[in-house]
Amino acid sequence: MSEERVKLRIYGMTCNDCVNTVSRGLKNQDGVLDVKISLKDGTGEVEIDPVKVKPEELLKNKVFEKPSHYKATLVDQ
Amino acid sequence: MNSEVQKFDLMILGRGAAAFSAAIKASELSNGEMTVAMIGTGPLGGTCVNVGCVPSKYLLEVSHSVFRPEHPRMAGILTTRVKYDFLEVMDGLRSYVAHARDSKYVRVIENYSNVKLFTGLGKFVDKKTVMVSDSDGNDIALVSGSNILIATGSHPAIPNIEGLKETGFLTSDTIWELNGLPESVAIIGGGAIGLEMGQALMHFGSKVTVIEALDSLLPQTEPEIGSAMKKLLEEEGMNFYLRARISAVSSSGSGKSIDVITHKGKEKVEVQEIIVATGRQPNTQYLDLEAAGVNTDSRGQIVTSESMKTSAAGIYAAGDCVSKKMFLETLAAREGVIAVSNMFGEDLRIDYDSATWAVFTSPQVAGVGMTENEFSKRNGSCSCRVFSLENLTKASIMGETEGIIKITVNPNNNTIVGMHIMAPNATDIITEGAYAVRNGYTIDDIIATSHIFPSMSEGVKLAAQSFIRDLSKMACCVE
Repeated sequence: MSEERVKLRIYGMTCNDCVNTVSRGLKNQDGVLDVKISLKDGTGEVEIDPVKVKPEELLKNKVFEKPSHYKATLVDQ
Repeated sequence: MNSEVQKFDLMILGRGAAAFSAAIKASELSNGEMTVAMIGTGPLGGTCVNVGCVPSKYLLEVSHSVFRPEHPRMAGILTTRVKYDFLEVMDGLRSYVAHARDSKYVRVIENYSNVKLFTGLGKFVDKKTVMVSDSDGNDIALVSGSNILIATGSHPAIPNIEGLKETGFLTSDTIWELNGLPESVAIIGGGAIGLEMGQALMHFGSKVTVIEALDSLLPQTEPEIGSAMKKLLEEEGMNFYLRARISAVSSSGSGKSIDVITHKGKEKVEVQEIIVATGRQPNTQYLDLEAAGVNTDSRGQIVTSESMKTSAAGIYAAGDCVSKKMFLETLAAREGVIAVSNMFGEDLRIDYDSATWAVFTSPQVAGVGMTENEFSKRNGSCSCRVFSLENLTKASIMGETEGIIKITVNPNNNTIVGMHIMAPNATDIITEGAYAVRNGYTIDDIIATSHIFPSMSEGVKLAAQSFIRDLSKMACCVE
């Protein structure tokens, strides 16, 4: 299985609960293998199986959809 | 210069309508967390507020205020000569532009602490990094962005005519510096900008000649409207050379001389001032887009998808620097919003088909969607009707019947695919056409919708009714 590391800039996180919520949301997405989030930097490193999920599809994760106030963009595409 | 790269979440090249709408949308979507670099030269706000829509509409409105009392249209109103001071008019215009720029751009962006302004020219050094240099060419900052929006706008295109640069001329960028009314003006270009500036100066009292390479005016609209506008402007005193070529321009005493070639032969046009209005070209030449892998078309405009993505991953483009047919402030702002929204994973696409455009002459011209010719070429056939304002009660009362409303429909399902209007307030009533084209309304939808009588917007309903009945045999109350 191939792996790809995707870096996200994540907006709206203010505490560890936010980190857990975003992390859980991403981990539940099909094709996501691992998630590491930095509250301090507002970033996330996501390991994905590129056969199952594209980097752009991470941005459409339910945790980033309204009414959630979390948003994300890709970094270093 | 600090050689360290200043890193931002979003780097915007440009500081006009597309750049501002993008920066504000990015701030809204990220609750002000997204760090934004806005890099550009010239006054904040770009073309529209500084040298485009705002000053041109101001000048047109003042000029109509001078012209209309001198040309009353209703019985019993006597001709009144209006006194004016052109220098004060221009000072008022410049003051209003400064106010609009300050209140709508300078003070607005001060509210966004996440946006940092860089004054200088940006040039790509790689796919993520731009070198910013000042007006002397000194490097002042190295800036990078995780996402990038190119929104550098456009500037007037200057045709390569012998003697033009040496003789001197005005453009839509420089006409706002005028302090005195030129006694006579030649305008090179019979498009929207040329006709707006031409009618404004003519209404103040200049003798205006328009020289156009094509055989009609306003090529983006229906030919009936181009012809009707030419007739009206000629009646007001404007002189036209169509299908004309300029072989040379030179100084002539205190004025300027233009050698014009038409099918009738060569003529000399002597004027005090020349205005060049032959379109605009993108501000992309200094960006080194190759270093970023961003593709352009043959005119240097940036090629994008409907989602405003360029050929380079993570780089979007919006506004007048983008390859497209229409160059409008409203489109630029929409494109900026679409680009930023898509950076956040949305899937928005620009809809050029329902974008409205306008010419603010008197009467105004406005359009949306396809012309009869455009639809016929694409689909093989079409159905259309031309409604004259002579048949509209409100226009007759106002004494302003020189106008038409043309609707084009898809004959397969009667959906409206285009609406083009020449009328006193065409810029307002075209919105009905925009709703119709965007939502696929039919002529029956227009007819079934209540319209005020008597009003100019009733003309849209009558134009729709003309598809199903002979209006000359219809009382004005028939639904």
